[in-house]
Amino acid sequence: MTFEMISNTVAALFTLAIFSFLYKENPVYRFAEHLLVGVSMGYALPLVYKNAFIPFVYRPIFLEHKFILIIPALMGILYIFRFSKNLSWLSRYPIAFGMGIVGMGVPMSMNSSVLVQMRTAMLPIDSLNGVIVFIGTVTILMYFFFSKAHKGVYGKITNIGIWYMMVGFGASFGYTVMARISLLIGRIQFLLGDWLGLIK
Amino acid sequence: MKIFAKIQSLDRRYIYIIVALSIIIPLLIPFNSRIDTTKPTEDVYQMIDSFAGKPNKAILMNFSHNASTLAELFPMEVAVLRHCFERDVKVFTLCFMPDTAPLVDYAINTAKEDFPNIKAGVNYCNFGYKPYSLFLPILLGMGENIAEAVEIDSEGRKLENLPIIEGIKNYDDLNLVIDFSASSSVFSWVTYARAKFGANVAAGVTAVMAADNYPYLQSGQLIGMLAGIKGAAEYEKLVDVFATQQREFSKEIIKEEIVPITGDHPIYGDKIPYKFKKARIGMNAQTVAHLMIIIFILLGNIGYFANRKKGGKK
Amino acid sequence: MKRQIPLMIVIILGFLFVGHTFIPHKYSIDFYDWFISWTKAISPFAVALGVMSLWMVHGTKVTRKAPNWQYSLVTLVALVFTAFAGFMWGTNEGTPFMWLFKNVQLPMSATMFSLLAFYISSAAYKAFRARSPEATVLLVAGIIVMLGQVPIGAMISKWIPETATWILNVPNLAAKRGIMTGVGLGMTAVSLKILLGIERTYLGGGD
Repeated sequence: MTFEMISNTVAALFTLAIFSFLYKENPVYRFAEHLLVGVSMGYALPLVYKNAFIPFVYRPIFLEHKFILIIPALMGILYIFRFSKNLSWLSRYPIAFGMGIVGMGVPMSMNSSVLVQMRTAMLPIDSLNGVIVFIGTVTILMYFFFSKAHKGVYGKITNIGIWYMMVGFGASFGYTVMARISLLIGRIQFLLGDWLGLIK
Repeated sequence: MKIFAKIQSLDRRYIYIIVALSIIIPLLIPFNSRIDTTKPTEDVYQMIDSFAGKPNKAILMNFSHNASTLAELFPMEVAVLRHCFERDVKVFTLCFMPDTAPLVDYAINTAKEDFPNIKAGVNYCNFGYKPYSLFLPILLGMGENIAEAVEIDSEGRKLENLPIIEGIKNYDDLNLVIDFSASSSVFSWVTYARAKFGANVAAGVTAVMAADNYPYLQSGQLIGMLAGIKGAAEYEKLVDVFATQQREFSKEIIKEEIVPITGDHPIYGDKIPYKFKKARIGMNAQTVAHLMIIIFILLGNIGYFANRKKGGKK
Repeated sequence: MKRQIPLMIVIILGFLFVGHTFIPHKYSIDFYDWFISWTKAISPFAVALGVMSLWMVHGTKVTRKAPNWQYSLVTLVALVFTAFAGFMWGTNEGTPFMWLFKNVQLPMSATMFSLLAFYISSAAYKAFRARSPEATVLLVAGIIVMLGQVPIGAMISKWIPETATWILNVPNLAAKRGIMTGVGLGMTAVSLKILLGIERTYLGGGD
């Protein structure tokens, strides 16, 4: 048995441990589940140390002598007070500093998800599909306008929006089924192909 | 009508067995099926291919997912990397989640095995993992100067010292960003990189996210999209038909061509390793599973209406 | 003061960023460069939040010998061992760290989500009912998209993939554009509320 086969067997056993939940909840599944949580979090520490602490804190402060960066580094350390009862307010400083960039988000997201979309929706409507898209967009926007009761003619118009949304949700539903099945295919490909070598 | 009542109360574990078999059997007995490529996938392929052999052009692959959605996204990542390696397109990789970092290495190593001449720092460069709080600073910083914004690669080497960065300064040169994601992270690239710097952005998404991206495709904010395992299968086919043959893309050729996965074709034969046709093999199982789900929906509804009718008569 | 100063930081930086977005002046660029270098120096410490939270939840269970505390011990040992492996032998291909990832974390994480395939199939059978005309439209659109994505759709009729593409490109596009515009306006409103100090929940509770 080669090292790769042993590794694949370990991976296959953990795969089967998770699948065992389909029959019913059991100790093997719970063990695997808790192991997964620990291992997943354990990854972050060495990677952050190597990819963020060394290049952005250690190197500039201790090797390049940019001592001003001691201030943000100390501010970063304040994060650890988040779980303290009396000093948790200190952790607000690094959070607040990071939030500042939201200022850029206001004009930029307004542009991408509203203005550009509106502009595209208002392009010369020169085809039947263009008309269908236009009617759908407008009626859905009207549907989400809750300040006016959805009654009478207005209610009928917003009703058209509902039908559009049902088709949209149907499309998402079809794609979601595809996605979920794909994930299972991936695992079975691993068990049958990579582990047992039955798929060529 | 007893049968309908029985159908309604079937134990879920029998359903699970049918689901498992509908996937296992088509995987064990592979058959050649036709994968038709779609425009959003072709658009991504054509844009990457237009950078072939150009030292002053590059693409960036941003990995925004963890292992949970690997089955859908990994085959497309490998296919795109393979395309770049086949056609000499400079490629950068990046991620902002710690448990994604090993996935980037895994994808690169899987694709690279078959290309002995491809070298890190020359043909490709993995920027590695950066903390998520640097997502926007790096995304925006690359609009000015990539080497300054990213600083070091995954090996800790200064970017400015690497040969690959020659001729690549900002989004004018790094002219395509593909975000591989199981979330809406591609919107950030559209919102900032596209709107502020005019970068071309494409999405490689899980099928769950695909339907939401159509408004961006129509407005041109996304230049293309690979959607789920189908998108991956399409891209695998495009690479086999054009990139591996060093041919230019042609709509006529791709329409006619069927690339067999069972290995009995004069051109492709057994040359396509399992890892480069994984999504297409998966599509066979996908076909059977979709049919099974549709039958489930129909059976469930027949039972439901039969029972309702019976209830109504009472 | 414990709340006001952080709020002032958000408001001042926020408005400076609004200005930076529109004004490409040298001072604006200098401000941006300063912000980035400080953000980078703060960034490594955020990971402590996740690790500490996990440590506290499971650590308390172990010390108090709560029911099933043994499983929490598994989580803590796994956390320490994985981090240790990364620090000790590095994080590159071929190291124990990468082995753990490939053979423990990756298969379990991927399998956990693949369980959803079973649940959605079971739901297809037991829950997806055409109870109303709207639900019928949803199901029919879903089935057409499902068939349109797989090769058998085109084998049944070339209209199936074409109809699926039409659904995605026309009514689906209209629906998603309408919803997206609403969400976009909502997001802008939330961002403005943060910027003006009206929305403060991100700072946590307390005074």
